[in-house]
Amino acid sequence: MSEAFIRCEKLTKVYRKGDQEIVPIRDLDLEIARGAFVSLMGPSGSGKTTLLNLLAGIDSPTRGALHIGSNDLARLSRGALAAWRSREVGIVFQSYNLVPVLTAFENVELPLLLQPLSRAERARRAMEALDTVGLGDRASHFPSQLSGGQEQRVAIARAIVARPPLLLADEPTGDLDRESAELVLALLASLHRDRGTTIVMVTHDPEAAARADTLLHLDKGRLAARESRGAEAAR
Amino acid sequence: MSGFTGNLARTAALALRMLVRTKVRATLSILGIAVATFLLCAERAVQDGVREATEASARDTRLIVYRANRFCPFTSRIPERYADEIAAMPGVASAVPMQIVVSNCRASLDVVVFRGVRAEDAERTLAPRLRFIEGSLRDFLARGDGALVGSALAERRRLKVGDRFGSAGVTVTVAGIVEADGPQDRNACFVPLPFLQSSMGGVQGGIVTQVEVEIAEPGTLDRIAAEIDARFAGDAAPTSTRSEKAFAARAAEDLVAIAGFARLLGAGALAAIFALVANALILSLEGRSRDLAVLQAVGFGGRAIAWTIIVEAAALAAVGAAIGAGCAQLALAFGDLSLGAEGVLVEFRPSIASAIGATLAAALVGLCAGSVPAIIAARRSIAEGMRAA
Repeated sequence: MSEAFIRCEKLTKVYRKGDQEIVPIRDLDLEIARGAFVSLMGPSGSGKTTLLNLLAGIDSPTRGALHIGSNDLARLSRGALAAWRSREVGIVFQSYNLVPVLTAFENVELPLLLQPLSRAERARRAMEALDTVGLGDRASHFPSQLSGGQEQRVAIARAIVARPPLLLADEPTGDLDRESAELVLALLASLHRDRGTTIVMVTHDPEAAARADTLLHLDKGRLAARESRGAEAAR
Repeated sequence: MSGFTGNLARTAALALRMLVRTKVRATLSILGIAVATFLLCAERAVQDGVREATEASARDTRLIVYRANRFCPFTSRIPERYADEIAAMPGVASAVPMQIVVSNCRASLDVVVFRGVRAEDAERTLAPRLRFIEGSLRDFLARGDGALVGSALAERRRLKVGDRFGSAGVTVTVAGIVEADGPQDRNACFVPLPFLQSSMGGVQGGIVTQVEVEIAEPGTLDRIAAEIDARFAGDAAPTSTRSEKAFAARAAEDLVAIAGFARLLGAGALAAIFALVANALILSLEGRSRDLAVLQAVGFGGRAIAWTIIVEAAALAAVGAAIGAGCAQLALAFGDLSLGAEGVLVEFRPSIASAIGATLAAALVGLCAGSVPAIIAARRSIAEGMRAA
């Protein structure tokens, strides 16, 4: 069994809305091995996106521990979390979230602006990432000039350009037609296979989830079930 | 370039790229700031003009002798012979009797001030302090209706040598265009004294409006002014003598009051710049909350986000201020604006120092205005940013 890369212990997230307390993640214990491809499934409100946000350091846990690699995310300051995100995590959103006034190339280059790289090296890596997603010839296009599937592939290029060990994807095929969704899923699978990137993907789509080697079912903020395919990558 | 400064430079370049690509928003903000800076520069020009015309200095050597208790060129009448008596007083270098006729006694943007001078005074006293751009003193002395026109008045009225022009019932022929150091000379129209006296039918020969006195030693202005007034105190036409700057300040009280009001306009212009930049950035933050959240998601920290907003504010303010100041310089340079009251003229001239000062003030205010939105953006969480989009 591989060593755990992601480890959640009694992880709890509580939101307060007036007097009301909402607990999307409750006492969650979870371990994910390095290099795993995990799909997170569950009904709406089960806490999938909240868990993904916690894993990305976008949100902070209310209680419990969250370790990713050697970092205890609950103890990192906002600045340290940002720096950690720039090195260790790539995020793919359902609605792509490309910056509309930047070209595909410039969107992909964004995470590299925070690294001490020369302009030439940034350009080389950004083009390499665009080539990886098959959009090298669309580098100078703005998001409005791309199809939804192409936008999502640019978003994936942006997520992988800094070569992070962890890729988090929130419904990456949710807004795509079947053909584009297939392309995106194939891309994620090849990143997992060829680069050993740990991928955690939230999805409602059983066909998309089937691409992963581990399926985690969340319900009411707790782990309800897990299915492993091939190597046991998650416990 | 170190990692920190490299990050600053790269994120600044990103902020500018994003700003340039939101052309409508950037252009509207820059135009607003440019207009406010234009007003600020105009206000600075008013202050500079009033200061130049009215602020005394230790180097001043000129006195104006006026009829006591009279404040308007139309009512001040003193005997021409006073000039000869004053010229003979110890410490006095020269005394020039002058008839003053103005086209408008009240505050006005286009006042023509005729200054009637004797031929001998034109040669001895006036010529040395004037520089001829066109024409000559000989041409002036050769004509009974000749006029030496100050450069500012010539530009304002588009006059050249040989032109005839009239105002306040006086019609003259331009014999020379002259440059001078002081705003009063630059805006005056010097004509022969007898010609001006005869043109003003009601004013008899031998009577002038004022005597312009040059003293030999700076620092003796007050003493000599007191001596002059004492000499004529028992005469039928007692005098009131002040330094030229003090005289201008009293005669142009209305203009000084306008300058005080202009100072409020200047403060208002700075407030407008603050509001414009802050408003532009806050609205832009609302519209770009998702973009900023994305930047945070890919690793931009709060400081980097704040820095992009500050760079944007500084760029908007600097470009708007530079455009506004540049337009103000052009308008002041080509507009030849001056404001006159009771024969005293205040010029509004372009000044590089004032333009730089106004640009820096506008840019600084813009920068301050950007700090609040920058803090808001830096403190907003990614989740909030995504939700707000």
